[in-house]
Amino acid sequence: MLIPHPLLGLRDSQEFTYLGDASLMQRPDASAQNAEAEFCDYVFLRDNPAGEHRELWFHEQGDRSWLVVTRDTTTHEILGAELASDVKGAVK
Amino acid sequence: MLDHMTDLTPITALGATAARTESFGALTITENADLGLASLALRKGQSAPQPFGLALPGVGEVVSSGDYGAFWTGRDQWMFEATGKAEVNFAAMLKAEAPECSVTEQTDGFTAFEIASSQGAAPIEALMRKLVNIDPKALGSGQVVRTGLEHMTVFLIRRADDRLAVIGMRTLAGSLWHALAVAARRLED
Repeated sequence: MLIPHPLLGLRDSQEFTYLGDASLMQRPDASAQNAEAEFCDYVFLRDNPAGEHRELWFHEQGDRSWLVVTRDTTTHEILGAELASDVKGAVK
Repeated sequence: MLDHMTDLTPITALGATAARTESFGALTITENADLGLASLALRKGQSAPQPFGLALPGVGEVVSSGDYGAFWTGRDQWMFEATGKAEVNFAAMLKAEAPECSVTEQTDGFTAFEIASSQGAAPIEALMRKLVNIDPKALGSGQVVRTGLEHMTVFLIRRADDRLAVIGMRTLAGSLWHALAVAARRLED
């Protein structure tokens, strides 16, 4: 399986480690009133889609960047990859 | 003179008093025990400095001038190399050149093996095909890549068409040498 790294081109997926759902980047506000309930959902609840899934991959044996990879969970086709720092920057 | 001091003998990453070198047909692998290393990272919003007069290279690129060189390791991060600076505080020298940036000593974390070919690019590329999942044609002279080699993380620097440097973790120097030497020996057959 090859991952299209935005800076480095197609790279062997063995160079990466997998973290999980990209929604982990949206960490709840710890100072909010309902922080406990929000963190409970953040830690324990995940969507489990059959199809397109955005997920975090770490280029450990590479440039050590975090990527948001879009993958089809039914075919394992990789549909795209973005630098997580760019995704995070765009959200703010 | 302190006569109670232990008599310490400096050794290279491979454990000998002299750097190892060995030839396998057209390829010669040499332990580069003289290389000083330090990493440099820009902090958010910082503009790029030019330590030792070197313009910081772009993605996957290497620059060098005289005894100094730098290669890209990640976004806003570079590794600096200096010939003959393994036994001095090279990180302090780099920090003095770029006082605003984050600089970390790396000499003691890595070991460098220089591979030279006496028959042009072909033996270097044959060795790469045996060891890494990187297209040798995509790693031309002046390019660098970080990848996995027998489960070890390494930097591959194509110093020239017929020269490749492999920089890996110092604690795994013996395993890395073994991987390179076995692959080079098999190419002789």
